[in-house]
Amino acid sequence: MENILEAKNLSKTYLLNRRQHHILKNLNLKVKKGEFLAVMGPSGSGKSTLLYNISGMDKMTAGEVVFANEKLSQLNEDQLSAIRLKKMGFVFQQINLLKNLGIMDNIIISAFMAGDEKRDEISKRAHELMKKTGIIELTENEITQVSGGQLQRAAICRALINQPQILFADEPTGALNSSAAEDVMSVLQKINQEGTTIMMVTHDVKVAAHSERILYMIDGNIEGEYNLDKFKENSELKERESSLSRWLLNMGF
Amino acid sequence: MILVIYKIIKNDLLKKKVIMTAVFIFIMLSALLIAGGSRMLIDLNNSINSLFDKSSAAHFIQSHTGELNEEEILNWSREKESVKKHQISEMISIDGSKIFINGEKSESDTVMDLNFVKQNQDFDYMLNLNNQKIKVNKGEIAVPIYYLQRLDLNLGDSMKIEGDKKQFNFKITSFVRDVQMNPSIISSKRFVVNADDFEKLSPLGESEYQIAFQLNDLNQLQQFRDEYSRTELPQKGPTIDYQLLKMANAVTDGLIAAVIILISLLLNLIALLCLRFIILLTLEEDYREIGVMKAIGIKSKKIKKIYFYKYLFIALTASLMGYIFSIALNKLFAKNIALYIGKAPESLIQVLIPFLAALIVALFVIIFSLIVLRRFKKISAVEAIRMGSRGDLNINSSSFSLFKSKYLNSSIFLGLRDVILRYKLYAVLFIVFILSTFIIIVPVNFLNTIQSADFISYMGVGKSDIIIDIRQSKNIEQRFKEIINYLEDDAEVEKFSPYITSQYEIINQDGEAENLMVETGDFSIFQLDYLEGGAPLLENEIALSYLLAEQFNKKVGEEMEMIIKGRPQRMLITGIYQDITDGGKTAKANIEADFSSAAWYTINLDISGNRAEKIAEYKQNFEDVKITDPDEYFQQTFKNTIDQLELLTFSSLVIVILITVLITSLFIKTLTAKDKSQIAVKKAIGISLKNIKLEYITKALFVLNLGIILGTITANTLGEKIVSAALSIVGAAEINFKISVFQSYIIIPLLLILFVSLTVLWSLKSINDLSIADINVE
Ligand SMILES: Nc1ncnc2c1ncn2[C@@H]1O[C@H](COP(=O)(O)OP(=O)(O)OP(=O)(O)O)[C@@H](O)[C@H]1O
Ligand SMILES: [Mg+2]
Repeated sequence: MENILEAKNLSKTYLLNRRQHHILKNLNLKVKKGEFLAVMGPSGSGKSTLLYNISGMDKMTAGEVVFANEKLSQLNEDQLSAIRLKKMGFVFQQINLLKNLGIMDNIIISAFMAGDEKRDEISKRAHELMKKTGIIELTENEITQVSGGQLQRAAICRALINQPQILFADEPTGALNSSAAEDVMSVLQKINQEGTTIMMVTHDVKVAAHSERILYMIDGNIEGEYNLDKFKENSELKERESSLSRWLLNMGF
Repeated sequence: MILVIYKIIKNDLLKKKVIMTAVFIFIMLSALLIAGGSRMLIDLNNSINSLFDKSSAAHFIQSHTGELNEEEILNWSREKESVKKHQISEMISIDGSKIFINGEKSESDTVMDLNFVKQNQDFDYMLNLNNQKIKVNKGEIAVPIYYLQRLDLNLGDSMKIEGDKKQFNFKITSFVRDVQMNPSIISSKRFVVNADDFEKLSPLGESEYQIAFQLNDLNQLQQFRDEYSRTELPQKGPTIDYQLLKMANAVTDGLIAAVIILISLLLNLIALLCLRFIILLTLEEDYREIGVMKAIGIKSKKIKKIYFYKYLFIALTASLMGYIFSIALNKLFAKNIALYIGKAPESLIQVLIPFLAALIVALFVIIFSLIVLRRFKKISAVEAIRMGSRGDLNINSSSFSLFKSKYLNSSIFLGLRDVILRYKLYAVLFIVFILSTFIIIVPVNFLNTIQSADFISYMGVGKSDIIIDIRQSKNIEQRFKEIINYLEDDAEVEKFSPYITSQYEIINQDGEAENLMVETGDFSIFQLDYLEGGAPLLENEIALSYLLAEQFNKKVGEEMEMIIKGRPQRMLITGIYQDITDGGKTAKANIEADFSSAAWYTINLDISGNRAEKIAEYKQNFEDVKITDPDEYFQQTFKNTIDQLELLTFSSLVIVILITVLITSLFIKTLTAKDKSQIAVKKAIGISLKNIKLEYITKALFVLNLGIILGTITANTLGEKIVSAALSIVGAAEINFKISVFQSYIIIPLLLILFVSLTVLWSLKSINDLSIADINVE
C-alpha cells in the first residue's frame, strides 16, 4: 500500500541549560494511507515530540519527513502552516479548543481561515460532522458549557473539517473518563473506516486495541511493531486487548 | 511561608518587566513635567517680579502724540497725593524703511512701531540681559530682545538708520529687556540711544510722548486712571497700566507652563491606567495562589501589603527620578523666560514646590493602587481554588459567532470580535489612544487657528486687505480727509471704511463714570464676528468687547449710559465681540466722530489689485501713516507665541508617539503572553502567522481608530472649550478651531496608524517561535 507519510533518520535535539537532549534519535517510520496507527511507549520516550516533528509544528534537527510527496524540511513556515491547515488534522490530550470561541466556531475556524470554500458549505459539513460525532445539539454552545467527552468530539470535528489526509491524535482520551473515551474511540474508528488515516499516541491498551498497527517507542526510537487486523466489531475488542497486552509486557510496558 | 510570598512577588516583577518599566517611565515623565511646569510658573513669577522691580516699572502710562505742556502735567501730579513719581519721556518713531539692523535689508515690512529713546531718568528703565540699567555712549545702540531672537544678533553687530541726507551708524552694545514692550504681542519696540544721538535722530521721525506715573499704592490704580482721564491733560493715544504689563509679559510662557502641567496630568492618568491594568492582571494570574494563601490562613491584609510595597517603591523612586531629571531640564523649560524676562535670584521655593509637585504625583499613584488593591478582599479562598482563573469575557459570545459571519475576513472578524467581547481588557489602550489623539490635535488645531487669517477677528477687527493707521500730528484731520479722498478716487479700492477712536465717558457697573476708548465708524462694511448679536448700526447702539461686557455685567439687548457731547445718552448693546488688544476692553459705536478727543485714526480697505504693490503705493503717497497687511501684522506680532506653540506642538507629537508606541507594545506583549496557549493552538492547527498577526493588528487598529475618532471629537469640543477658557483671560472667550483637514484628519491619524501598526508587528515577533510543544510541557 502507498505511504502517506515517511520519516527518515529523524532526529530532534533540545538545548536545555546548555546541554543537548537528544529526544528523537535517527528514527525511521512509515505511515500507510488509510491505516490506523498507534504509538505507545513510556512517558518521556518522545511520542509527542515525534508527532510535533512529523507534522511540521516543530523544526526537526536532522533527517527528513516526506508527507504526501513533499519534503517538509524544504518548506517554509507558511507552506507548513498551509499543509497543517488543509491536509492534516490534530486532536490533543488537553483538547485545546480556542477558549473564547463557541463550539461551532472552533470547528469551522480552520476552514474559514483556509478560505477555499463557500461559508455555507463549510457550515453544512460542520453540521454533518457534528451529527456523526453526536454533538449536533451543541451548535450554539460555549465551550465552558459542555463535558470533556463532548469537547474532545468537537475537537475531532475541528480536525476533520478540512477533510485532512491524516489525523494526528496525541492521547485523545487521556483526559476523559472511560465511557467518554469509548465514545471518542468509536468516532475515530468510524472515520478511519471512511478512509482517514490516523496516527494516534496512547498509553491505554484498550484504546490502542482499536488500531491495526502499534509502534513501541523507547528513548527516542521505535523499538517494536505489532500488527493487528483492521478493527471490525466491538466484540473483538477484548481479544485484541489481551494479545496486545501480552506483546507490551514483552516490550517492558 | 514568607518565601512563597516573595517568590510570587519576584515572579510578578519578572513576568511584568516591560509593563512595570512603562509604569515607571510614565510616573517619572509625569513627575518630570509637573515639576518642570510648576518650576516654570514659579520662575516666571519670580522673574517678572524681579524685572518689574529692577526696571522700576511704571504703574500707568498715557501715550500722547501732539502738543504737550509739561508744566501742566508736573503741577497736576505734584498736587496728587497718590502719585509717587512721574516722568515724561519722548520717543521718536522712525519708519522701518529707514532702518537696517545688521544687514542691507530694511525693516520696511515690519508691523512694529520702531521707537528710539533715551534711557529714562526716574523709573521704567530699560535693562540689559543682566537686568542692569542700560548705558549707551555715542554711536552705540541697544536693540530689543525681539530682534536678538528674530535676527540672531550678536553684540558688536551694526545697525544703520538712513536720514534724508545723512546716515547714522550704530554699534549694538546691549540688548533691551523692556518691561513695557518686551512681549512680541506688543507691536511697539524701544531702541535705546545716547542723548546726543537722540537729538540727531529727532528730525527723522515723529515724536510721541509717554507720560508715566508710579503710585504710592497700586490699589489706587483704577481710581487714578479715572481721575487722569477726567482732566484736560494730554491723552491722544492708548494707555497701559501695571496689570496689563504683567499680563502681557506672562501670557505666552504662562500658557505654555499650563499646557505642560496639563500634559503631566494626562501622563499621570495613563500611568494610573497601566497600574490598574497590571494589578488586575496580577490578580487574574495569581488568583489561585492568592486563594491558596488565604486558605492556609494568611490574612489578605498581609498579602495586600506585599503588593502595595512594590507599588509604593516604584511610585517614590520614579517621582524622585522625574524630579531630578526636571532639574537637569530646567534650562530648557525656562529658556524663553530667561531671555525675555530675565533670571531672578534662586530661592528655596523654586526647589521645594516642584519637589512637592513631584511627590503629589507619587501620592496619586499610591492612593490609587490602594484603591485597586482593595479587590484582594473579594477573593474567596474556596472559589479561587476551584475555579482557577476567572472568566475572561465581558459579553456573552454566542451572539457574535464567526460561523454566522458571511463575508468579512475571518482574522479581521476575530480581531473585532475579541475587542468587543473583552472590551474591559482594551479599555487602557482605548483611553490612551483617545488621550494621545487629544494631546496632538489640540495644539495642532490651535496653531492652525492662530495662524489663520481669521484670527484677526479675535483682535476686534473686521477682516480686510489693508489697514491704514494715521499717526497723530498737527493737521491730522486734514490729512485724514485727504487720504479718504484719495481712496475714493482709487479704482482698485473695492470698499473702505474709516474709524476714529476717541475717549468717551460711560457709566460703569458701579454707576460711576469711567473713561473708555470707543471706536466710531460704520461697522457694517467690514464685518466682525460677534459672539452674540451684531454690529451697532444706529446712533444709539454700541458693541462691547467680551471682557468689557463681563466687567459691566451686560448682555446683548441691555442698555448702558454714555456721555456724548456732554449729554448722557442711553445706548443699546447690540453685540459682544472678542478682542485681545488693549487689554481686551474696547467698544464700538456708529456715532459721529469726536475729532477733539480722537486718539487714533484707522482706515480698513479691500482692494482688487496686488496687496504688496498697493501698500508700497500708499507708503509713497501718504506721509506719517502705518500701512499694514493684517496677515503680515499677525505673523510678526505673534511670531514668538507661534514659535513657542510650534515647539510645544512638536514636543507633544513626539511625546505622544513615544507613549503610543510604548503602550501599544506593552499591551500587545501582555496580551500575547496572556493568549500564549491560544496562539500556540492556532499555529498548531495550521492557521498561518500572517493571519494571526492580522488578527492582532485588527484589534489594535480598531481600538486606535475608535480612539482617534473620539479623541478628535473631544479635541474639537472639549479642547476648544479648554483653549477658550484659557484665552478668555485675555479677551477671547470663544475660540473656533480652524481645522486643517489635511493635518488633523489625514496626517495625524495616518501617523498614528503607521506607528501603531509597526509597533504591533514588532511586538508580535515573539509569537514566531511560539510552539504548542512548549505550551504542553508546562
Ligand atoms: N520544548 C522542550 N524543550 C526541552 N525539552 C523538551 C521539550 N519538549 C519536550 N521535551 C523533553 O523531551 C522528552 C520527550 O517529551 P515528549 O513530550 O515527547 O514525551 P512523551 O513520550 O510524549 O511523554 P508522555 O507520555 O508523558 O506524554 C521529555 O523528556 C521532555 O522533557
Ligand atoms: Mg506526550
